[in-house]
Amino acid sequence: MSATELVTVTVDGREVHVPPGTGLVETALAAGVEIPVFCYEPRLGAAVGACRMCLCEIEGMPKLQAACTLTATNGMIVRTAQTSERAAEGQEATLEFILVNHPLDCPVCDKGGECPLQDLTFRWGPGNTRMTFPKRTFEKPIPISPAIALDRERCILCYRCTRFSESVAEDGQLVALNRGAESVIATFEDEPYLAPFSGNVIELCPVGALTSTQYRFEARPWEIQNVPTVCGLCPVGCNIQATTREGKVKRILSRNHPEVDEGWLCDKGRFAFTHLRARDRIADPLRRVRRRGFDVLSWDDALGEAAELLMQAQGRIVTALSGSETVEQAYALGRLMRAGLGAHTGVLPEETSPALDAFRLPLSAIRDAELEPVAERAPIVELWVKAARRQGAQVEQAGDALEGCRRLADKRNALGKSLRESERAILIWSGEEGAGGAHLAALAKELGFAGKPASGAFHLPCTPNGRGIADAWAAASDDEGPNPEPIGLLFVSGDEAAADPNVRALAERAERVIVNAMFQGLAVGWADLVLPGTSYLERDGTYVNLEGRLQRLRRAVIPPAPDELAWISKLAERFAVEVSPHASAVFAEVSERIYDGLPFGEVGEEAPLRTRSEAPAPQLPSEPAAEGKGLRLVRYRPLFSGPAVERVPELQFQRPAPEVELSPGDAGRRGIAPGETVTVTHNGTSLQLRARITKSLREGIVRIAAEHAGELGGTVEVAK
Amino acid sequence: MAIRELTLAHAGERDLSKLAEYQAIGGYKALAKARKMKPEAVVEQLLASNLRGRGGAGFPMGRKASFLAKGTGKPTYLCVNADESEPGTFKDREIMLLNPHRLIEGCLVTAHAIESQNVFIYLRGEYLDVFEVMRRALEDARKAGLMGDVTIVLHRGAGAYICGEESALLESLEGKRGQPRPRPPFPAVSGLYGSPTLINNVQTIATVPVIVEKGGEWYAKIGPEPSPGTVVFSLSGNVERPGNYELLLGSGLRELIYDLGGGIPDGRELKAIIPGGSSTTVMTPDQLDTDLDFNSVAEAGSQLGAAAVIVIDDRACMVQLALRSTQFYMHESCGKCTPCREGTRWMVQLLQKLEDGRAEQSELDLLLSVCDRVLGKCLCALGDFAAGPVVEYVRNFRDEFQRHIDEGGCPFGGESSLEGTFAPVDQHTHAPVAEVPA
Repeated sequence: MSATELVTVTVDGREVHVPPGTGLVETALAAGVEIPVFCYEPRLGAAVGACRMCLCEIEGMPKLQAACTLTATNGMIVRTAQTSERAAEGQEATLEFILVNHPLDCPVCDKGGECPLQDLTFRWGPGNTRMTFPKRTFEKPIPISPAIALDRERCILCYRCTRFSESVAEDGQLVALNRGAESVIATFEDEPYLAPFSGNVIELCPVGALTSTQYRFEARPWEIQNVPTVCGLCPVGCNIQATTREGKVKRILSRNHPEVDEGWLCDKGRFAFTHLRARDRIADPLRRVRRRGFDVLSWDDALGEAAELLMQAQGRIVTALSGSETVEQAYALGRLMRAGLGAHTGVLPEETSPALDAFRLPLSAIRDAELEPVAERAPIVELWVKAARRQGAQVEQAGDALEGCRRLADKRNALGKSLRESERAILIWSGEEGAGGAHLAALAKELGFAGKPASGAFHLPCTPNGRGIADAWAAASDDEGPNPEPIGLLFVSGDEAAADPNVRALAERAERVIVNAMFQGLAVGWADLVLPGTSYLERDGTYVNLEGRLQRLRRAVIPPAPDELAWISKLAERFAVEVSPHASAVFAEVSERIYDGLPFGEVGEEAPLRTRSEAPAPQLPSEPAAEGKGLRLVRYRPLFSGPAVERVPELQFQRPAPEVELSPGDAGRRGIAPGETVTVTHNGTSLQLRARITKSLREGIVRIAAEHAGELGGTVEVAK
Repeated sequence: MAIRELTLAHAGERDLSKLAEYQAIGGYKALAKARKMKPEAVVEQLLASNLRGRGGAGFPMGRKASFLAKGTGKPTYLCVNADESEPGTFKDREIMLLNPHRLIEGCLVTAHAIESQNVFIYLRGEYLDVFEVMRRALEDARKAGLMGDVTIVLHRGAGAYICGEESALLESLEGKRGQPRPRPPFPAVSGLYGSPTLINNVQTIATVPVIVEKGGEWYAKIGPEPSPGTVVFSLSGNVERPGNYELLLGSGLRELIYDLGGGIPDGRELKAIIPGGSSTTVMTPDQLDTDLDFNSVAEAGSQLGAAAVIVIDDRACMVQLALRSTQFYMHESCGKCTPCREGTRWMVQLLQKLEDGRAEQSELDLLLSVCDRVLGKCLCALGDFAAGPVVEYVRNFRDEFQRHIDEGGCPFGGESSLEGTFAPVDQHTHAPVAEVPA
């Protein structure tokens, strides 16, 4: 931007040049002056000017002004509390008023030591109190959900939480009740705050009014460490900090990556970490002993046993991956299985197509788009789509990948036509039929997105690192053997694979099974040998998220057993394959092959997105549309599911009910009312589920969470 | 002093709530005339009239209308502020009860002037009788085909004083919690549903037909130079004949209280006058010769406000009066901004302690300091409305405040009476308003 497009503002005598419309708080910051705030949080929408902490003197305005509600205009002269006595008095007044009824129970408050109210009082506030009356009291703490406790006495009514609920998550569940000094934050009708993003209000709260039930009384800020890493529970890859104390993860905080997550986390990412301490966590290798279940093995014995099993089954080994392995781990395992043990088969978590690399965009581009056909939901992506809708974008429900891609590619389709004309259109899709995004890439190409830098496409895979694993597995060796039958040995890598019914079905055909899992519950009954697994919070390495962004995972805590890379390296030695036990060294090898030699150290805390790259042109799906009058079933993996979520008590109430989702039109034609029990039939098998009617589904499509869908698939019929 | 009735003209003799009666006195002729004029021409008449808003702030209405953003591609809205709730005010109630069609005609003329098709009348929830009258009048006007392409929505508030603040009114009208918005943006640019919006008080809008009928210049010439026209004064408190009196601006305060109001009953002495509703600065008997117009009252150190003149006789303890006033504002503070929410509560605590005779000398200073820390620091005017008058009660009646400290109790010894002035705090809790049958 050239200087002529900037405005000049004087803050406390310092001139600063900023683009017109820049908020005054940011303008002052650019001049090196901090204007303290409580309620101001630009991510929550328009400023509200409620707390009055940012009072400043503006030349030409008789009264003190709330800086947060003003924007920079040319020639503006601002005097903050640093240089204006009136502003300083105003700020001190605000702090005095805030503290008049604040309990000042800092010594027992979780926020103490990292509390904006404490910090700002220390710097700007009065040293003494003039309040001699009893303070306002409320019942406390109130559990507004199993994960969140509310202390109304500490609340300073900045309305950040209610604004988040109303205008970011749009769940509308947090509200302010009563008026004036009796105002309190509450949940609507006292129902629990049941929403997928509820935990963000804990982090938004500038005092200790909203606290995490998991973190309450668990640590003090001076005895914790925050480890910057990436969430490994879904393909978005939100940037997080893992707070640790004495070798244990105590909480997860967001680490704002403005292109990926804008500082928001879903409740799974925030609260699921306690699965690290699940009661059935495996810390030692186990061997199946008939009748008695499992025996604990030493690592030497376990590796010996594993080597023997692998040796016996050479040539007939199948590896089932979870999609949550790091790039390094998948590569190491690929080296062991494919280079060390000859050509062997991998069951990758799902297809992933590199074709979308030609339509790559940061997730934040969703917010700025004008037209978005959306099929499916993913945690943080949902917030970006909501932000886009608030900015006036047209968001369309597009059906499933197979049918939707064909329909929109049709030149006669009206929505397809608008997509061709738009400069800022984004396709957001998922589903098993999407061929890992290949169909979507073909559609994007057909719609002419290749030449439009602000148009793009996202395929939402099921697994956090499916793309990274596919690339790493491919880089490990060039050979690919045939599917063995029967399978000599099934190697199950990770908990998601161990919990997958398809993998269990494979095991039926396998002579022996090695399971690498975190939880005993996932190994019982089918594993001959169990090797303890670790979580994403316990590993070093890299992940590739759904944008194609390579991000760095850091070990926050030491796992109770050696991590996978350590024993894969040891095991590989026995087959004369050299694999380092260190993520950095493995990455260097992978990087040489697939990441242009990028050094491990440069993956970065705020990883950039690689530029678009040309990819082979994929084909649009050619199969004819499903026959018959039935409804297409979309099986989806709900946010609150999986082995980790099952082990976190705070998340149980968020798990999906056994429901089938129907569009209002389809429900109406079948005379189905919301909440009714219906029968879903496919090929003679049927299931009883509760009907949920939602406007966010296209007609002709029904959705059932995979864990409730049983054997159903393809085309189904729904009847009362 | 002559009673000059414009908004309440003929309301004494006829039942103007009936459309035929209203038309018989020339009603809706201004509408017909306005609709033959270009919208800009109507706005010019309003500008020429120098009509100042009757809701309290006294901002020239024509200028406000001319600020409306044009060519935004969004609709323009007219909102009528009928959320009359300040202690002492009851003029809009009378206008709507006695002359509902005057307001409706004003709405339609103004809507024409600002090219709006949507008018919202935000009516105080407790005004159930007014609601019924207005509803019938609107129905009659609709049936008589007077509405043209304009829709008038009568919206009942839910019992919050703050919703009389224009931006809180808009929030409430949008279905949100009634709390003020920061300004800028001003409603003329981004008001109701983010669209250009004109908000005016009932009496302001009810005056518009007269201006269109007789011309802006004619209107500008009646009454004193910068504050022309008439105002309905709501006279209440300790006077013989309380009630609404529509007078020319510039009429004398003494005449209003003594000639029209019949003076103080039972031979008691006048102690204080609140000229414009509980938010305005208290005046003393030596200021009785002040003329009642915006500038003269301001020169006397107070505000004309909503022209709600409250007369207080010598039975009143001024500490109690300040306490009751502050209790009202504490009860009505919306809770959005810190100084008002916390300051009003603290002020009440300090005033109660003073009244009880438990306060120390330093606490009187503390009270003034708390007021000072509220004044000019809040999001809207409510904080100032609470703190400003308290400072003036202390300044004008400091001896009385001092005696509460020195004598360790109220010098009236329980004999003081605020009868007819401010209602006690337990009456602030409004009874549930009857639901209107659909």
